[in-house]
Amino acid sequence: MLTRLLKKIISTASGRTKFVMAVVGLSVALLLILSAVQIQANYNELLHGKTNTDSTANFLVINKQVNNQTINATSLSDDELNQLQHQPFIDGVGNISASRFKASIESYTSTFPFYTDIAFETVPDAFIDVQPKDWQWDENADFIPLIIPNMFLDIYNFQFSVSQGYPQITPDVLKMVSFKINLQYGNGQKVSYTGRIVGFSDRISSVLVPQSFMEWANRRFGNSLSNKPSRVVIKTKDPGNPDLVKYLQNHGLTADADKTRFSKYRQIVNAIVGVSWVTGAVMLLFALLIFTLFIQLTIASCQTEIQLLITLGASPKQLQRFLMQQFFPFNLIVTFIVLIIIAVLQYLLCYFLQQQHIFLQPLPSLSTVAAAIIVVLVLWWVNRSTIKKYIRM
Amino acid sequence: MQIKLENIIPIPLKENLQYRSSDIWNTTQVFNAGEWVNIKAPSGTGKTTLIHFLYQLRFDFEGNIYWDNTNTKQINADAIAIVRQQKLSIVFQDLKLFGNLTARENIEINRVLQQPYCASEKIDEMAARLGITSILNQKVSLCSYGEQQRIAIIRALVQPFEFLLMDEPFSHLDNNNKKIAAELIAAECSERNAAFVLTDLDDNNFFNYHRKLIL
Repeated sequence: MLTRLLKKIISTASGRTKFVMAVVGLSVALLLILSAVQIQANYNELLHGKTNTDSTANFLVINKQVNNQTINATSLSDDELNQLQHQPFIDGVGNISASRFKASIESYTSTFPFYTDIAFETVPDAFIDVQPKDWQWDENADFIPLIIPNMFLDIYNFQFSVSQGYPQITPDVLKMVSFKINLQYGNGQKVSYTGRIVGFSDRISSVLVPQSFMEWANRRFGNSLSNKPSRVVIKTKDPGNPDLVKYLQNHGLTADADKTRFSKYRQIVNAIVGVSWVTGAVMLLFALLIFTLFIQLTIASCQTEIQLLITLGASPKQLQRFLMQQFFPFNLIVTFIVLIIIAVLQYLLCYFLQQQHIFLQPLPSLSTVAAAIIVVLVLWWVNRSTIKKYIRM
Repeated sequence: MQIKLENIIPIPLKENLQYRSSDIWNTTQVFNAGEWVNIKAPSGTGKTTLIHFLYQLRFDFEGNIYWDNTNTKQINADAIAIVRQQKLSIVFQDLKLFGNLTARENIEINRVLQQPYCASEKIDEMAARLGITSILNQKVSLCSYGEQQRIAIIRALVQPFEFLLMDEPFSHLDNNNKKIAAELIAAECSERNAAFVLTDLDDNNFFNYHRKLIL
């Protein structure tokens, strides 16, 4: 009853058009700022989400640049490794250790003769992109498993075989071929073992052997040369991260350029997302101003009535509560509608991008909902303080 | 409720009132609970000003006013509202009605500002007694002064109170209606055991006053 009477006294005094304008202004601003949050969330998801990452993209092989200053001094010191490990954008560092003995491989058969000197490298298994089932070795093993870069096979199939008139080889055929691996003691004495290729890596361009074999062989055949790694594999959430690229540059390190190239696009996208943030925030500020002015206008236009109500014994608190009930629900409704609009847009975007094989969550992100809640709290505070200020005047 | 005045003098009327003898200004006066007081006040002596001081609408006075031993200078807006809702009712000289509400709505608002003291039917009953039933659903701005005055009287009576302030409450009524209205007010005050202060320009015998004072 009281609410109905107060409504009649107060709401008739203010213009409906002005109210609609204030609500529309608020809606547009809210839509902008919540969209900015949602875009940011989508962008993060695209960068770091599991469904969109390609297995090679998160691992980079890095080493010192070979130039006049670093020639023959490209190994990474403990300090440098330690520093790398502590960078926020690096999740893990795997040392690539090289063999410290002379080795060669040759074919068993004369139908397909080859012989070459060779060196091996090894990295922790977690940093290798393939995990073949034969990838293990101990002293009783029948053969030494090797992983070679895919690139080697490509070079053979599309370049070497064509020029020499040899047949092309499939990866499966190559895996069946056994060959001889000769390891050499310091004094020149050779011991032969059987080797077999068990997998092909896109990530590491080196001939890899299991760590257990490398440790054993280095102990048995190795000379006393430094065991410091000259190359490491790093695991990172985001190879396009501009900070990572900058760090590598500043420390004279290089990585697979292909993967870090996106850094530049990232900076541009970052700038655009930043601008949309700022625009949304400025719009929200204006919308709050509009809404505050609207509340002031409403109260000012029925100042006499409010004064009379207080004279009759209405308490300022009672009137504040009533005015809050008049204005705040609209804020809530606007926020709710804007959230629904964002949900619909997000669903459409998800559907559209799915056809391009880019995967997004179909629902608005938690951060968007959290932002909406924060905005509602800010609106509540603005409503309340404006009403309080003008009622007490 | 008891209201006590302690050396009250309105600042704007200070010069005029300083050398006049008065039962109210510049002296101590207590309006006790349940006491019916008439204050006769010729024009320009600050009659409405006094009522506004007592109701805490104006604060431009020297001296102190106590509501039940509490100095009104120490009461905040929300506490004043509670006293006005529960203990202190008023009939203004200028009536102070909402012109765009109906007579009934004007009365209702005072009834429901707090936990209602009486049922809504009481409004019809009082309106019938004062002869304004026909205009209850009419906009107040369309009512005559006499009707508006009766609306204001009913509005003052539908809320709980221990003290009623009346500022020339019958100025627009004929003698017959004055009598009926005074009977209604007396009945309501007796029922609540409430005190009242009535100010008027001339001497009158609307009620059985306990005291008659001159401003």
